[in-house]
Amino acid sequence: MFNSTGNNFGAGSIQFKDYQASNYVVLNAKFSYDPTNAAYQAADVLEIYVPDLSIDRSAVAGVILTFQDRYVYSSYTWNNDGGTAIKSWIKDKNTICLEKFTNFDDKGEITIFIQALYPMLNQPGNPIKGTRTRINMTQETRYLYWSSDTFCVIFEHWVFLHMQFSSCSYSYRNQPWEAVMGDFPTDVNADVPFLGGSNQYNPSVNGFSLAHVENGVFTCQERMSGFDSTGYDPFIFAFLVRDGEEGNGDVD
Amino acid sequence: MIAKPSIAFNDFAGTAKDVTARNVQGRNILSVRAYQSKVCTPAQATTRNQLSRISREYKQLSDSQMQAWEVLASHMKAASSIGNPAEMTAHNAFVRINSNRLLVGKSILRDAPSHISNVPGVVYDEIWVTPSDLIIKGIVHQNDPLKLVIKMSVGMSAGVSSGWSKTVIVSPGIEDDWGDANVRGRYLKVVGFAPAVGDKVFIEMYWLNTDTGFPGESAFASRICVTSEEAEAEGYVKRNKITMDDIKPDSHVSECDVDFSTGAPVISFDTVCLGHSNVASSEAYLEEELPADCVGTSMALARGMGEGNACFAAQSYIIWLRNSSWDGSSITFAHRGGYYVKPTEVFGPGILY
Repeated sequence: MFNSTGNNFGAGSIQFKDYQASNYVVLNAKFSYDPTNAAYQAADVLEIYVPDLSIDRSAVAGVILTFQDRYVYSSYTWNNDGGTAIKSWIKDKNTICLEKFTNFDDKGEITIFIQALYPMLNQPGNPIKGTRTRINMTQETRYLYWSSDTFCVIFEHWVFLHMQFSSCSYSYRNQPWEAVMGDFPTDVNADVPFLGGSNQYNPSVNGFSLAHVENGVFTCQERMSGFDSTGYDPFIFAFLVRDGEEGNGDVD
Repeated sequence: MIAKPSIAFNDFAGTAKDVTARNVQGRNILSVRAYQSKVCTPAQATTRNQLSRISREYKQLSDSQMQAWEVLASHMKAASSIGNPAEMTAHNAFVRINSNRLLVGKSILRDAPSHISNVPGVVYDEIWVTPSDLIIKGIVHQNDPLKLVIKMSVGMSAGVSSGWSKTVIVSPGIEDDWGDANVRGRYLKVVGFAPAVGDKVFIEMYWLNTDTGFPGESAFASRICVTSEEAEAEGYVKRNKITMDDIKPDSHVSECDVDFSTGAPVISFDTVCLGHSNVASSEAYLEEELPADCVGTSMALARGMGEGNACFAAQSYIIWLRNSSWDGSSITFAHRGGYYVKPTEVFGPGILY
């Protein structure tokens, strides 16, 4: 775990969970910024300044940009929260860069989820293969159904997670969701962006809903309004640092 | 008949037909008027037009701007083949700096940059020249605004000892690709054909500060083209990555950079998937087999590049990397999460399993 030493877009201090190897780093952070901030408006690329990383530059990785957009109609709130993937890379040992994606600057506060692995390239050797582990999602009363591409790849210090929603029993669609993630490590604790669903007021992107993974349990309190639209398959894509296994280390 | 005085040995200045003599700081300089050959490649035509454009721009400068260029010129030296370097004029400096900037796509600089320039020399491990590879390896990376300029000659006889005056710019200003500068494609575009085994290729490289237009010291080298087998025997290790040069034309990707050289549990993707046949997937058909340890499945993030609905939708893609004795080697990018968009950019690290 470390804190940023500054940034050029007025976001305040940012706390990172990290796993740092000699040829890649896995970073997790969640933070927000105000697009009306003068520093943000002056920046071409968003830069986060950090203490020395184990690598001095990286290839491009993907992080998730999200925003809130809600409309209240008498007693009903129409949730059009949205999000997309933006590019991020490590410029030097002390600078993490984010693509400046301005399309949703008029939505107010923007929240970024960094749950990324930043690799170096032209390193000796080919990639190291992991093992796919199917996540066995269970509930006392089963109301959530998941695609077969709901799986993880587990390493000693971090885990890759991909989840893809299939369907939900009608009576539970507006309830808080909870499911046990069988065979998923219990030492992961993270808010994860759940991207997907038709976004009526922001049709250029998918919807965004917030999920949480902790102690091997998946929860999602609420979903955006078009969450279960056909063809907009909500998914989670994250490289997550395992608790208690952070810091510098060797390649898994 | 034209009387040709011994202008080189007298304090003489003037023009006799195509020969001009002038005295600069005690040195007599003779120059012959240059004529365009009228035959030129599009690239040469562009360069010639740029020089006259820069010259015209100089005349538009204010007096104070010209003075600043004079100050800069007093700190710059022109090349000389007879000992002391010749003095530069403000106009010379303006043209030199700005032709360098235009070379890398920058605009003309009207205000003179500081003469204090600290552009490093090019440090690299080795240059490999084979009929199928033209690559500089182990380049010590420099950050923006420094870009690498590489000049190369056509393949010459191995007996030629100095061919650097015959080099042409093959890379006007590139960033090294993680220590590599693979210039074969650029070389073929400029020179037109690859060197043959036994040919000698002359190479000049320097870093260019694209903000100020100042170049660094040149590194000069020459290499004799060898076979790929000979290069590998001498220690050349080909980087394991797939680019557009490695895929067949009937593939469904318009950009492709699949880099296996991470040494980590991921592959690095930077690929534009076009989709095909109303199937939510795109295939890249490979010219050669994938290494056995790169065969497998990957999962990467993507973002739409389309228009209209969900044009920037985030998506997840499952990627199958396979060698097949039936239909060859291929990489299939198959859409999974999010709204499917064509085209889509699949980018970033993909876990390999």
